[in-house]
Amino acid sequence: MRADAQALKGHLDTLLLASLENGPRHGYAVREALRERGGARFDLPTGTIYPALRRLEAAGLVDGAWAEAGGRRRRLYQLTPAGRRRLASDRASWRDFATAVTALLEPAP
Amino acid sequence: MTSPLITGYVAGLRRDLPARMADEAASGLLDTYEQHLAAGAGEHEAARDAVADFGDLATVVGEFTRQAPGRRAARLLLATGPVTGACWAAALLTSRAWTWPVPGAARLAFGTVLLITALALLAAATSRHRYQRTRLALLAGPVLIALDATAVTVALTAAPAFTRALALAVAVSLTRVVVTARTLPRLAAR
Repeated sequence: MRADAQALKGHLDTLLLASLENGPRHGYAVREALRERGGARFDLPTGTIYPALRRLEAAGLVDGAWAEAGGRRRRLYQLTPAGRRRLASDRASWRDFATAVTALLEPAP
Repeated sequence: MTSPLITGYVAGLRRDLPARMADEAASGLLDTYEQHLAAGAGEHEAARDAVADFGDLATVVGEFTRQAPGRRAARLLLATGPVTGACWAAALLTSRAWTWPVPGAARLAFGTVLLITALALLAAATSRHRYQRTRLALLAGPVLIALDATAVTVALTAAPAFTRALALAVAVSLTRVVVTARTLPRLAAR
């Protein structure tokens, strides 16, 4: 679990961007999306999602805005055009990498 | 309505982080807490599980601090130190700076401010759990600009000859002025 959490940290930015691909979400929903799609192994302490989102916002990849939801103010995050471009390029390089590693690891026929 | 455990945690966030970040994290913690309440947990149990899910206060504050823009800026500016220092050392030695008409008190003042600025940047760059410390970069940045500008002005007016080493040192300092000036507005906005 700890090793998975470490491995996840290296890809956290991309995973966060991917979780916002289909529209704005607030921090808790981002975390739920990671958990739903990645399973328990991608279960980060929820609190550490917020600093990461903030850093992405400072880098101009994500836009955050306060919105009233469920009787409370929540910060909604959405991808900026730069964030979308970054996600596309991260996704392409991950696919290349994964294809290469899979080819090496599969037993030879 | 809210458990004392949650109230205490939120108070801790407000104490240790700038308001906007504390608000973001607090809203996330309340979401987590409400989720556990909705799943049928009692108030105390929901609060305990929410804090376990969310991560303890030190972890969350530490993560905000580690990713603070001030900390990154301080690291960047500190990294320019050795090169800038080496260029100026070469320039001042080859130009025999000790013969320049600059009062001793002014030299001492410059050295002292430079040392304090470097220490402030070091404190911001190495902060792990105290967010406020990363804000030192915002104070140190303008002082660093002033130091670079002073060094360039003095070198251009007091040096008897404009050597190649001096030209390099001036160029390095001016580059750093530009880099620092471009970093500062981003820090101030956060």
